[in-house]
Amino acid sequence: MMMYYEIKKIFVKRGNRVALAVLAFAIIVIVYSLVSQTYWVNENGEMETGFGTIRKIKEAKQEWSGSLTENQIARVIEEKNRINATPQHQSEDMRQQEIAYSWTQGFQDITYLLNYAYGDFQTWDYTVADSLTPDMASDFYPNRMKSLKKWLEEEEGGANLFTDKEKAFLMEQYENLETPFFYEYQEGWKNLFQWASGIAMITALVLGFLCAGIFADEFRQKASAIFYSSYHGRGKAIWTKVTAGLLTVTVVYWAAMLAYSAAVLGIFGIEGSNCPIQSTMAGWKSFYQITNGQEYLMILFGGYLGCLFMTGAVMLVSAAAKSSLLAVTIPFLMIILPSLLMSMNSPTLNKILGLLPDQLLQISSVVKYFNLYEIGGEIFGAVPILAAVYLLLTFILIPMMYFTYKKHQVTR
Amino acid sequence: MELEIINLTKEFKEIIAVDHINLSMKNGVYGLLGVNGAGKTTFMRMLCTLIRPSVGKILCEGKDIFEMDGEYRKILGYLPQEFGFYPDFTVQDYLMYVASIKGIRQTAAKKRTKILLQQVGLSKVQNRKMKKLSGGMKRRVGIAQAMLNNPKILILDEPTAGLDPSERIRFRNLISELSQDRLVLLSTHIVSDIEYIANQILLMQNGKIFHSGTQEEILNEVPIRVWRLDVRKSEVEHWQAMYKVANLKTMPQGAELRILSEQCPDTNAKEEELTLEDVFLYYFGEKAGNNDDVL
Repeated sequence: MMMYYEIKKIFVKRGNRVALAVLAFAIIVIVYSLVSQTYWVNENGEMETGFGTIRKIKEAKQEWSGSLTENQIARVIEEKNRINATPQHQSEDMRQQEIAYSWTQGFQDITYLLNYAYGDFQTWDYTVADSLTPDMASDFYPNRMKSLKKWLEEEEGGANLFTDKEKAFLMEQYENLETPFFYEYQEGWKNLFQWASGIAMITALVLGFLCAGIFADEFRQKASAIFYSSYHGRGKAIWTKVTAGLLTVTVVYWAAMLAYSAAVLGIFGIEGSNCPIQSTMAGWKSFYQITNGQEYLMILFGGYLGCLFMTGAVMLVSAAAKSSLLAVTIPFLMIILPSLLMSMNSPTLNKILGLLPDQLLQISSVVKYFNLYEIGGEIFGAVPILAAVYLLLTFILIPMMYFTYKKHQVTR
Repeated sequence: MELEIINLTKEFKEIIAVDHINLSMKNGVYGLLGVNGAGKTTFMRMLCTLIRPSVGKILCEGKDIFEMDGEYRKILGYLPQEFGFYPDFTVQDYLMYVASIKGIRQTAAKKRTKILLQQVGLSKVQNRKMKKLSGGMKRRVGIAQAMLNNPKILILDEPTAGLDPSERIRFRNLISELSQDRLVLLSTHIVSDIEYIANQILLMQNGKIFHSGTQEEILNEVPIRVWRLDVRKSEVEHWQAMYKVANLKTMPQGAELRILSEQCPDTNAKEEELTLEDVFLYYFGEKAGNNDDVL
């Protein structure tokens, strides 16, 4: 009964209802923008947008699904060269060029990978794939290693950014990546990852708003005297507040993320969950050996841990300072400050920023960064450290908020 | 039920809000009378375990209430001076929530809430949001929440403050009704509240309880008498400078003064019966609250 009313206190507030409506609206707008940005160029060189194009893209890309073997790479290069030689591609007429482009849409993802594999490590040149011949296909995977090695040796590249041990770790990770990659249509995951961080961040801010008053409102509304003078006022009733906060985080976070996931994957399809993240342009350089499906789980659980920690910090400030206004600023500071500091571009600062809690909300970016940390002679990526550190800190926050709130005296 | 207060003191930085109080209270209604800032609220908050004393102890049936912790609060009902609530909750929701933190099971809480809402005359507004209630209704919800656990110790801090006269009378009657077989401590700076319902009166000033007893005892022990004197309007200032004037009533032909004095102030003065209000004025003088409240 106590839990029911504690939860009701949160959701009965008009401001909190508005915050939830904002979250729901944000999800709808984001999903709508993902759909409206999807386009398909038809055989007449005309651009089509909207739901109908998704099926066409899927059909075209599924024709190129399978292992990205040397033969498959050679086939893509061959097809690319064949299209490049057509009068439509060489025409100066835009419509004709669009017609030529329409024939490349099925293997466009693989073309993007070619631009990375045969180009410079730090730049992406979209013309690289046009300069390849089928006999170069055997260099596709070795080039990934070579370009990293070269970049790690360059003074202006990664030579001064990493220790020898870290460089060796990166090389080993690249070397151990299972090849050939499995490739198939994976627009659902690509689109999902594109805004997953955004949704997690908006959810974290909304949760901060919802939970900022759990402790502080008792004082703001001058209800603390009755609260603390009641039988459970310095015990179970405080635990119920803590639990209500955690339950709110759990329900709102999972509802938001699963609603977003269901909408995006429902519209764009779930194919491609077993593809390694390196089989997409965004994940090509990543040293994490994971599939889209595994990245999705990491995003979900990372975001959940991030929201738990941030809301826990909000509740602790709310319990200590008895001010919901101060508490509600915590997620804003945790999310906005690191992004401001990131522009300073200092390697040491970046290492620190790589371990701040906002990173948990953007695992899809974290798995693409080369943020490495040495602990006990072993090199780790940021993800396992973030998970361990914030899991521990969240567990510490829980009793801290309880004891902080328990000790208050009611002097006003 | 017995509460024993031993050498109770509370200091806030350089201010001594409660100053070495020693007191024993048993079942009955105790009226704690004092001006604003006398230390009544701090004293009551300590009795409700909301503030820890700087020095001294509060014993309930011989046990320290801070060591008893939840077991003490289980038998406690408290209506604070500033009664806070959750504005978006309905009356029913509010009482059910307070019942839950008082450790009352849902079925019992529903029954108890229904009875109390009837008792305080709020059954018809049980589904109205708290923020939509009038000041008097909110105070009645306040007393209902304090009574939810059928407390053996009921502490009411300025329960009638801010109520209009009819609400105040109604509230006083309600408190009298609820005071059977329990220890009720009622603080106020409104003398009539005490006159009507308190068995014992505690007079508090500067953090100390300097006088206590029944209404008769207090009236008998005060070294003052009351005189009625009719004077010309031009003489009013003179008499006010000479004596404590409990009341000044302007008449067409002059003014009627109620003078506090041990000796007869004038041969025309007629002695009147001493009231608690006169005692209040005698002890607390000019600080004795605002005129509207001391009625």
